[in-house]
Amino acid sequence: MTDFLFDVIATELEDAVGRENCSTRTIDKLTHSVDYFWLSRMWADRGLRMPEGDFIVAPKDAKEVSAVLKIANYYKIPVTTWGAGGGTQGGAIPVCGGIVLDTKRMNKIYDVNEQGMYIECGTGAIYKHIEWAANEKGYATMHYPSSLTCSTVGGFLAHRGIGVSSTKYGKIDDMVLQMEVVLPNGDIIETSPAPKHAAGPDLNQIFIGSEGTLGVMTKAQMRIYEQPESRQFRGFLFHNMTDAFNAGRELLQKFKPSVMRLYDEAETASLIKKIVGVEKKGAFMNIAIEGVKEMADLEMKILLETFAKYGAEDLGSEYGEKWWKEKITFFYPGHMMDIPQCFGTMDTIAPYDKIEKIYWEMKKAIETNFPQAKFIAHFSHWYEWGCMIYDRFIVDGKDVPKDPHEAFRLHQAIWNCGVRTALQNGGVVNDHHGVGIKLGRLMKEQYGPAMQVFEGIKKQLDPNGIMNPFKLGL
Amino acid sequence: MNFSNKAKEHIDSCRFCWMCHHVCPIGNATGLERNTARARALGLSLVARDAVEYSDDIINNVYECSLCGGCMTDCVTGWDPVMFTKEARLGAALDGKLPPYIMTMVNNLMEKGNIYGVENENKIPDFPETDTLFFIGEDTRAKGCAKEAAEVLKKANVDFTILKDEPNSGYSMDFLIGAAAETKAVMENCAKVLNNYKKVICYDPQDAKVMMREYKEWGIELKCEVVTFTKFVSDLIKDGRLNVKKTDLVFTPQDSPILARDLEETEPVRDILSAIGTVKEMLLNRQYTMLAGNLIMNEYMPNVITKVAENRWINAKNADAKILVTTSFAEYTKLNETKPEGIELMKLEEAILKCL
Repeated sequence: MTDFLFDVIATELEDAVGRENCSTRTIDKLTHSVDYFWLSRMWADRGLRMPEGDFIVAPKDAKEVSAVLKIANYYKIPVTTWGAGGGTQGGAIPVCGGIVLDTKRMNKIYDVNEQGMYIECGTGAIYKHIEWAANEKGYATMHYPSSLTCSTVGGFLAHRGIGVSSTKYGKIDDMVLQMEVVLPNGDIIETSPAPKHAAGPDLNQIFIGSEGTLGVMTKAQMRIYEQPESRQFRGFLFHNMTDAFNAGRELLQKFKPSVMRLYDEAETASLIKKIVGVEKKGAFMNIAIEGVKEMADLEMKILLETFAKYGAEDLGSEYGEKWWKEKITFFYPGHMMDIPQCFGTMDTIAPYDKIEKIYWEMKKAIETNFPQAKFIAHFSHWYEWGCMIYDRFIVDGKDVPKDPHEAFRLHQAIWNCGVRTALQNGGVVNDHHGVGIKLGRLMKEQYGPAMQVFEGIKKQLDPNGIMNPFKLGL
Repeated sequence: MNFSNKAKEHIDSCRFCWMCHHVCPIGNATGLERNTARARALGLSLVARDAVEYSDDIINNVYECSLCGGCMTDCVTGWDPVMFTKEARLGAALDGKLPPYIMTMVNNLMEKGNIYGVENENKIPDFPETDTLFFIGEDTRAKGCAKEAAEVLKKANVDFTILKDEPNSGYSMDFLIGAAAETKAVMENCAKVLNNYKKVICYDPQDAKVMMREYKEWGIELKCEVVTFTKFVSDLIKDGRLNVKKTDLVFTPQDSPILARDLEETEPVRDILSAIGTVKEMLLNRQYTMLAGNLIMNEYMPNVITKVAENRWINAKNADAKILVTTSFAEYTKLNETKPEGIELMKLEEAILKCL
């Protein structure tokens, strides 16, 4: 691009969002070039510059987003939407340069609607801020992922995020009522006023998980809940994973706890020992039950009876309470894996008839093909029909190639191996971190000819292919 | 730009961590990604790796931080963005790269004794010499007055003096250029004066902070006892030296981040307000408070600091606060500028005087 054309586009963008909200400063380009994706972190750690946007724009509402997208379409410039940058899949990295559209100025909380039990807010709001807004009125969002404090509403929606209380309250895609979306051509649309209907396919669910490839979500109505009268915890130690899966499956045919988390023996002996203090060998499982006290008491009785049948050792409430208190501590630097280690979380999901096999096959595949890698896992989101594995590989810094390109290759090879093993055994490419640039290549392997449905929608809505190119395999 | 090993370690820990994103008053006001501790750390980590120059652009970002310590308080692992941000400011000063708007304030301070370049108009009346000094502070002397606070002390028959030519405590210099020799010189000069007294009552928490913490760290000897105005008055009430009336007024304290975090002083203001009325808390209180104003930053990014104050009013409104009470002059000033209808704003001393 010539300097002249650059200035033409810059001034048009400034006109759209205000000069102070359109930046070409180095600091803005840098900070929008590295997200939580290991490769971007490794690249920066080695003193290399990631692909950077040319223009960092921060629109205040759908109208301004629309203006930006019209400019981008006219000049055929890529647009990468950025929430807060906490994504692990490289979904927010502007790999083709162009415009980075930061949503955080769209952070207004319009309404805490106690009658409709939702908060209407801009998608640039940090989720913790809408939690605060709910708390101020005596409610809660019940969406408590580790990234609660550092991700936007739009970011969670864009990659189908999930929180620790998902078994009772659902994923982010269960928590949204209505959305405002700006299409790539600049049209502003609203999805159906209610999320359950028979008025054709669900527009919400077309954009949720689309990772900025089909448009920009600008406003959303997110559900809020009454604070539970009682929240009770119980820790258990299972002899083996099979017993734990069977116990969890049986429990879910009876009622839904809020938190269900099973840690494999390796993670019990490492993270759980370090942060929660469980010293014994086995597979630790934490359950939280909440709601009206009378019902919670009854559910606790059912839980104890059910888990006793599978030989689970009842560890009481102490570890569970400690876990709840420390649930985000796991993810702070010093507790979490970090550079120079090479690591990743290959979260996948499957029905109960497949999930345990997937776990063992992935563990075998990673540890056999990459003996330098450690494999640990927990199972943190459970349904009546199955659950997800949050399985992680960790390679010590000393085993990570010094050459960044070789480190890149190692990372990609481990991911290919792990996710392909999951797919071959009935898993899904990802459960709740999304796809981004990290897993785009594996989407076609997952979906085969079904991928043409996504490609058709993409082509129709974004004929110039400007929206977050090379993400989601699109 | 050379960072200490300690700063490098903290920078490298924060550069890929977003966990404190939600507590940054500046980031919440601007909505800009660069106004986060991780963005600042990322930029500085790349500077440390020679991947980018320590340019005006990065340096300006280093000055877009209020040093309020919200991020540090939130961090369960104890990483400290305030520490490396101050070191980066020192680095800019040592490299001769201070932005012009910072340089102006530094020069003003050296020449006029305050960053605002305000002449000392000697409006302070004569006070008798005593062994207790009421230290007003740079912000209040340049931008306001502490008449009501002095009135409270008088009502309790406290013998105190106020200096006509009060020295600068060094807070603003520390804010602007960190641990530079010039900062230490300002502090040493102040300590010399303070050491003529037995007790120093600090009106402004920021002065109390440097006197009670930084002087010690820098080996500057303070023989006098330093106490915050809030703590001093709270003790006066407890000791029965200041008689106040319990009213039916409902007060919501705005915790000064400096008092609550740096000095870990959160209860005296509540003790006072409980003695004269009822305390109603708002979201983010005590050490988790949210900054509501900073007059140094107001000199170079006034719109942002205005928005910072407006955001705090939202918390007060959502808590259905009736009277918001401040303990910091800077916060009072910005909150007063942005005050919405339907809520009262009072300095702590105004609230006390109302209930004598």
